[in-house]
Amino acid sequence: MRFEPLPHAYPFRFADRTVERTGPGAGRVRAVVSAGGRGVSGGIFPGALLGELMAQAALLVSGADPDLGRSGFLAGFSDLTVARPALPGDVLTIDIAVAGRMGPAVKFDASVRDAGGVRVASGSFTVRRGESAPEGRA
Amino acid sequence: MKASDDLKQRVKSLIVRQLKLEIDPATIRDEAPLFGDASEGLGLDSIDALELVLGMEKEFGIKVQDEEVGVKAFASVDALCAFIRQKAA
Repeated sequence: MRFEPLPHAYPFRFADRTVERTGPGAGRVRAVVSAGGRGVSGGIFPGALLGELMAQAALLVSGADPDLGRSGFLAGFSDLTVARPALPGDVLTIDIAVAGRMGPAVKFDASVRDAGGVRVASGSFTVRRGESAPEGRA
Repeated sequence: MKASDDLKQRVKSLIVRQLKLEIDPATIRDEAPLFGDASEGLGLDSIDALELVLGMEKEFGIKVQDEEVGVKAFASVDALCAFIRQKAA
């Protein structure tokens, strides 16, 4: 499988490649959960890492958007629902859409589905462009 | 209650709800700066600004198109109310 460039490396690289870009910062990404590395403990890919997967997917589909660029950081989740943890062998599809933008901040909506189309997780999160967090933010 | 007071209360409630602040909306002063130094006002930042933009769209159906407009509109509760009235006119 072809991996697109991301700042993230093994074992914290979760999103594999863009399947489709539907607009600036929007599209579909594929990820295959493997048994080794990837922060997997006891064979389970936990919900918090599904959140990180969504953020990496947003970064991948944003690669085609010069406004968004590739530098920035995950500022936080305002919503994250995990229907089930992902397991090794799961082929996940992550749909990403931009919910809104203001200045350096971009909010994304994301959903993760398994190969059968069943929702694994969904959430909304904000990415802030730039090298550092605003004062008072981790 | 005057319509302008009602609008201010809606705006203050929106700020508290959208940003999940643990304060009484009534404690937000009408003229206090929403962004910047927390000792003067709420001390909000760019991430909060985006949440307010989304909240404004949901609550009032008003879109804030760019950062320059947003900086002026979100200066204070008074400024935000004036912006809403201007858009509604």
